[in-house]
Amino acid sequence: MKLNRRLFTALAASSLALGLAMPASAADLAAIESAGTIKVGMLVDFPPFGIQDASGTPDGYDADVAKALAESLGVQAQIVPVTGPNRIPYLLSGQVDVLVASLGITEERAQRVDFSAPYAGISIAVYGATGTEVAEPADLAGQTIAVARASTQDTGVTEVAPEGTEIRRFDDDASAVQALLSGQVNLIGLSNVVFLQVDKVAAGKFDKKFDLSSQVQGIAVAPGSDALLEKVNAFVQTARSDGTLDEIHQKWLGEPLPDFVKTAE
Amino acid sequence: MYQFNFQPVFDNLDLLLYGAWLTVRLSFLAMILGLVVSLLGAVAKTSGIRPLRWLVDVYVEVIRNTPFLIQIFFIFFGLPAVGISMSPNTAALVALVINVGAYGTEIIRAGIESIPKGQIEAGRALGLSPVHIFRYVVVVPALRNIYPALTSQFIYLMLTSSVVSVISANDLASAGADLNARTFASFEIYLVLTVMYFLLALGFSTLFGVVRRAFFTYPASR
Repeated sequence: MKLNRRLFTALAASSLALGLAMPASAADLAAIESAGTIKVGMLVDFPPFGIQDASGTPDGYDADVAKALAESLGVQAQIVPVTGPNRIPYLLSGQVDVLVASLGITEERAQRVDFSAPYAGISIAVYGATGTEVAEPADLAGQTIAVARASTQDTGVTEVAPEGTEIRRFDDDASAVQALLSGQVNLIGLSNVVFLQVDKVAAGKFDKKFDLSSQVQGIAVAPGSDALLEKVNAFVQTARSDGTLDEIHQKWLGEPLPDFVKTAE
Repeated sequence: MYQFNFQPVFDNLDLLLYGAWLTVRLSFLAMILGLVVSLLGAVAKTSGIRPLRWLVDVYVEVIRNTPFLIQIFFIFFGLPAVGISMSPNTAALVALVINVGAYGTEIIRAGIESIPKGQIEAGRALGLSPVHIFRYVVVVPALRNIYPALTSQFIYLMLTSSVVSVISANDLASAGADLNARTFASFEIYLVLTVMYFLLALGFSTLFGVVRRAFFTYPASR
């Protein structure tokens, strides 16, 4: 009896010590499973990835992915709205278990959080009027192309555009798109997400000419949440191959999950 | 304490100076053409021809009661829908001329109406032709009366031209914005732009002073 009690104390003490030694923020898979809910941080101001529907409920690509993820873990998703600047602090302080928050995978971020394999991506490309014959940067010579000043697409276009390209810089994507729609320019540097909106208002009038760059997004967990990360990765791999992500991508972005996301590691 | 670093500005001073030249050219052209529009508008407004007066009234009221930003968007993004497509720089010039023309019309109209009837009758009594009366007895004295109001409107036009970068037209402000996008030395760049705009405005003021002494002083030399 006495021995048992001592053993128990020792066990309790050592598990406490272990617990303290681990980062307080690491998400515990067992705790999530026993609670039956996983707290998912997502953006609600980044359409079509994260939006709020008319009743204020988070919705969008990320919300659907979060629900599918929760389902694969056999728990309920509890969505916590986060913002761009505070999403990593939310994760590291343990207020959410995972981020499905359109978090672009970068080296700096990978030092703070652990990323899953990519589950989504944004690509920057040159789009233009159907019939405008442009297939590579060299074809831009003599063309007029609109971009949002100081955006990723501005940098990308400026980098590859040959001599004789007229680059028109507008204050934002909306103005650049206006220039394209009103026929003031033939070409535009744009992200696939914004282009989707353009294609909605002018179906079939514009198509992609060539890619400039792409950025993939991962589901993030706090460092040390290895068991959870393993499950998340398993979910992403399955969802990428069994068509789950294709379906969600089709729903929100009008096309299956792009290949550059599927093949990225 | 903020560490000033003007190196990016000095390294790209040619870019800013070229931008300043574009602003000067754009504003100067807009002033000249705007003056023509204003004179025509003022004459139409003070003429007895009713439909013409109404037409000018509508023009003046629409332009003076809508934001310039919307006007320039309308001209650049809207007009192509009806087949009128202009390059950004032309669209900027057209928008500025239309805008300053509306304000100038009202200013010059006030000047023309400030001419006493007796002065025109005196001109007739002296046997001047209607064209001479209009030129020497009405327009020149009218411009003399409203000269400060008109020229400050022109200076304002030059400062307003700083928004034409929204339709990707090139000017001093867009040169600054491009430089800012590359170097992120915002504070230094906008400080230099402020000084440059101030100097440009001062330059135009001086020019207007010279024109005033040459053409609009008493006794009228011609």
